[in-house]
Amino acid sequence: MANALEFESPITKRYPSGGSRDLALSDESSQTKTLVRAADDSAAASQLGVAFGGSRHQAGVHIIGQRPTEWLLVGDESAAAAMVVGLDRTGHVSVIDHTHARALLRLTGERSADVLSKICNVDFGDHMTPDGSALSASVAKVGCDITRDDASGIRSYRIACDRSFAQYLFDAILDAGREFSLTAVGA
Amino acid sequence: MSNSMRLPAQPGEVIDRSRRIDIKWNGKKLSGFDGDTIASALVANEVRVVSRSMKYHRPRGYLTADFWDPNGFVQVGDDPNVRSGHRLIEKGMTVDPQNVWPSLDYDVKAANGLVGRFLTAGFYYKTFIKPQRLWPVYEKVLARFAPGGVVDLDTPHGLYDKRYAHPDVVVAGGGPAGMAAAIAAAEAGSKVMLVEHEHHLGGHLLWGSAEDRALAAELTAAVETAGVEVLLNSTVTGRYEDNWVAIAQRSHPQAIERLVKARAKMLVVAPGLIERPYVFAGNDKPGVMLSGAVRRMVNMYAAKPGSRAVVFTGNGDGDAAASDLERAGIEVARIVDARNGENILAAHGPAKSMDSVELADGTKVEADLLVTAVGWTAPTSLLNMAGDRPSYDANAARFFPNSPIDHVLSTGGIAGDGSHEELIEHAVATGRLAAARAAAIGHRLQAATRRAASVDGEAPAFAADDRPILPRDPHPELFRSTTHGIVDYSEDVGSKDLMAAAAEGYDSVELLKRFTTATMGPSQGKLETVNTVAVLGEARGETIEEVGTTVWRPPYAPITLGALGGRIHEPARVSSIQPWHEANGVTPILAGAWIRPEHYGNPESEVRNTRANVGITDVTPLGKLDLQGPDVPKLLSQLYTNKWMQLPVGSVRYGIMCAEDGVVLDDGVTGRLGDEHYLMTTTSSGAASIWEWAENWLQTEHPDWKVHVTPVTTGLTSINVAGPKSRELVSRLVAHAGDGAIDLDGEAFKYMQVRQGTIAGVPNCIMWRIGFTGELSFELHVPSGHGLHVWEALLEAGKDLGVRAFGLEAQRIMRLEKGHFIVGQDTDGLTKAPSTGMTSLIKLDKEDFAGKAELAWAMDTPLPVVVGIQTVDPLIVPAEASQIVREGTNEILGRITSSRMSPTLRRSVCLGQVAPESAAAGTELTVVLTTGERIKARVMEHHAHFDPEGARLRG
Amino acid sequence: MLLVPCPNCGPRNASDFAYGGESHVRPNPNQATPEEWRSYLYMEDNPAGWLKETWYCRSGCRRFFTVERNTATNEFREHPIPGTKLGGKA
Repeated sequence: MANALEFESPITKRYPSGGSRDLALSDESSQTKTLVRAADDSAAASQLGVAFGGSRHQAGVHIIGQRPTEWLLVGDESAAAAMVVGLDRTGHVSVIDHTHARALLRLTGERSADVLSKICNVDFGDHMTPDGSALSASVAKVGCDITRDDASGIRSYRIACDRSFAQYLFDAILDAGREFSLTAVGA
Repeated sequence: MSNSMRLPAQPGEVIDRSRRIDIKWNGKKLSGFDGDTIASALVANEVRVVSRSMKYHRPRGYLTADFWDPNGFVQVGDDPNVRSGHRLIEKGMTVDPQNVWPSLDYDVKAANGLVGRFLTAGFYYKTFIKPQRLWPVYEKVLARFAPGGVVDLDTPHGLYDKRYAHPDVVVAGGGPAGMAAAIAAAEAGSKVMLVEHEHHLGGHLLWGSAEDRALAAELTAAVETAGVEVLLNSTVTGRYEDNWVAIAQRSHPQAIERLVKARAKMLVVAPGLIERPYVFAGNDKPGVMLSGAVRRMVNMYAAKPGSRAVVFTGNGDGDAAASDLERAGIEVARIVDARNGENILAAHGPAKSMDSVELADGTKVEADLLVTAVGWTAPTSLLNMAGDRPSYDANAARFFPNSPIDHVLSTGGIAGDGSHEELIEHAVATGRLAAARAAAIGHRLQAATRRAASVDGEAPAFAADDRPILPRDPHPELFRSTTHGIVDYSEDVGSKDLMAAAAEGYDSVELLKRFTTATMGPSQGKLETVNTVAVLGEARGETIEEVGTTVWRPPYAPITLGALGGRIHEPARVSSIQPWHEANGVTPILAGAWIRPEHYGNPESEVRNTRANVGITDVTPLGKLDLQGPDVPKLLSQLYTNKWMQLPVGSVRYGIMCAEDGVVLDDGVTGRLGDEHYLMTTTSSGAASIWEWAENWLQTEHPDWKVHVTPVTTGLTSINVAGPKSRELVSRLVAHAGDGAIDLDGEAFKYMQVRQGTIAGVPNCIMWRIGFTGELSFELHVPSGHGLHVWEALLEAGKDLGVRAFGLEAQRIMRLEKGHFIVGQDTDGLTKAPSTGMTSLIKLDKEDFAGKAELAWAMDTPLPVVVGIQTVDPLIVPAEASQIVREGTNEILGRITSSRMSPTLRRSVCLGQVAPESAAAGTELTVVLTTGERIKARVMEHHAHFDPEGARLRG
Repeated sequence: MLLVPCPNCGPRNASDFAYGGESHVRPNPNQATPEEWRSYLYMEDNPAGWLKETWYCRSGCRRFFTVERNTATNEFREHPIPGTKLGGKA
């Protein structure tokens, strides 16, 4: 029965379709998200292969070093589960299903950094925030974890926040992006 | 009269004569051209008086005809205090003078001018001080005389915007030096933002010679080629700690104004110089203008500021103004050259115009225009904000930057004089130096930031300042003639006022400023600071250097409140059940950032239904922390006042947390889910702070403890199912066999226990038995992606049981009936744990816990006590915060902290804090209602008004 | 706005942090006199010069750390120890 359950996204509003896709905001909240907490010098950390501030893709899972001693694994359910099963639990390692706790949005487009720069004080330039980098910051006053994850050479960001803030954040980003014709996609 | 004072086409004009624009001035239609400022359109239409001065309501015309003009404030539509020397005209614009009544021509308030000699410095301070009871009257009268336009309260919200930027170099000022510096920095690899106050790049070159304009065009093109980001019609309004630079951008296509917050690695200050007015009798008459104003009017806008001019000049710009006027066919009756010791004494004429100029040699020259060119003020504001205290150079008759600042460089006129070549050379060197230093700063920044692209090697050394030193042209010191005139045009303060104030003892510049309000008007010192200091120096018989100057603070130019506010970001949180609440008649309430259901129509009926049948309520905002690790019990023992080392798996315990001062911080329950796995709940408002509190202890005092704290508040949708039929309802949804089964039998699953399992087909749910409402109740914590599903399943499954949703208000009523205190409502910032009556939960035999020291001492100290209170008259509900006083006196003994009419007991019920001597059960209290009426109430034996034995919740 | 050097995130705006105030060692709650304890809770040295203080990187890595800041110039220099307790503040 569990498998028949549909995941209810925190983005409950509907948006008009159409408009340019050059700059798009989409909802990826249904992705399986697993939080791994372990020491930075643990076996699990070296397995995950990425330190705080970075991210990488492996076997269908986006491994994000989102804080010291803290990783977020994002992917589809089976790929994420496979990675968690294989995780070395030596030492003090915690694994927490964060699928329901965190909303996940994706902002894609050449001007995506310009949109974020209106509501976030971080330097999104290539030197300070290159592709693959991960950081945490306040976006429109909501604490967010941001990962730059370019898609086929196009600038793209994954933005995770507390699920309860997701609808507000989605609308705040759309509002900031209006001057660049930002479009909501698939929500 | 349209464009009657418009000159034939001028070589440097910036207006487009093919595009006529009609505007309304003071109710009358007039026309200008695209590119005109309001000022140039008015001057071209022979408007000579645009405003009335603040105190004496003297007619005023344009003095500087730019952003800083103290006389050019107008009302544009519903927008007051618009600077007409700067704002461009637009089709259909309605422009009106302000500070005039009943009209610009006949100003009643100008009567002040007749009695002007009584309105000396400090007049307001001295006159309107006594009797104090009349101050409201004075204030009303004075307000009518204050300048400023009309604020339209119906003005719709405009769009204001904000943006962050991280440029390597910000250049403040788009004149030749600013442009050259920006180009050099960009060519050296810097990301450069060039901010220009006016509508065009070029600065003073725009009203200069043909060669000047050619240079401006060349530099402007090079700025574009170099990839510099240019913000026109924008002002760097402030420089703050670590080069945090505020820029007011007025040129955004959509937003009225936008605040750019730039973290500049380097700031280059190149604002040029601001021309200084001359102090003499009649220096504020319409027709007296500065040389720059005249040259802008003639050369950029082809507007004729007068017909016959006298030019008083002490420098090349005055000479150039004279030749510009002659070239444009305006008669120059006399050039008065200060460099030859010549001087002017007064401008004469009827109230609203000028007809002659009196010279120091006794001659009187007929003229309707008097041009003065007496030198410049260096606008060192941004340098001041960075810590520089500029010094005065008497030989050049102006201030210069004094102390080098690592991250702020200055160039252009503010730094010195010289030929175009010398100034550009200095600016290029400044741009390169800024770029080199920015690169070094960027290198260090990248090296210090773990996510940043890696950088090789050591950070480059901070480049030394080896720029050429600019010469300083000698300039006569020209501040005041032998006559008295206006020093601060915006505040209507004259040189006589300043000298009188100095004679009264206000002879330090900071005191003088505050007493006379000189430099405190909209000009903010740009035009009048140096003259103020010079006049004070005269009065004290000292040099300008000895007198010193006031410090310029932000903002450099005004910024609207709209821009400071920017977009409104008020984060709002909702639970996954919010769509159901909204579809079912919820009355929402904002609690912190959370939007919560207060009730669904009738909270009393929600209470009755819950007590009789079963109710469900959305308690998702309850703070929830996932705790994992072998040392969780140690952490719990450290945070809570009670004991946690022996909590069995499957059990839940209540605890109170205190700060180190013993004051109650939070309370809640924590359940043990597995060997090393716990779930802690906090109050909704404490969710974020308790998480930080826990991290604080773990990271700083006990880094050796192995505990991972993870907030999961919104990952779990929390639903409290309460009421005598709650077990029946929940049993219809839990799995009864197999994986995820939960046995709900009262013996198998007791009060204060926790179980995990499948509810309504949703695996990994957590459920515990607690009782905030006092009823048998099950609190379900459901993965939020299925929260709405479980909520709807409960309502569906419980139809025949009478299940209904209840909101926060019903929950509050029930908890008050049950006597559960709420931290922050029934306790306050001084309430120590023993006051709550929970002394049995304070375990002083523990080695350590937060607040232990204070609590040990508090145990022996008489403290206010939280008690249950009932009014003698059961129908009176005293308002929360009603005072409890000693009978027959006003001595406060406590207060009502919570009060409601209980639908269950049909009487009023309260909690309150009372002094220890009034806390015994049965004590009679006097409560003062908001009406002032005093009523009787009694201290109860228990906090709980309803079911004090707890039979219902243990059922 | 001040830039605060977070050891993990690099320099960030001060508004990204919670200020923890002066860093003082927590007295043993079982031995401290009321005077000692309350001095720890409420009294600050407030020097014009170098001060050891605690910051919490609230918007970023969520780590407490201690640095030295010159209160007269706002210059920072790193301090090798992790954060110390934040007195009575929660």
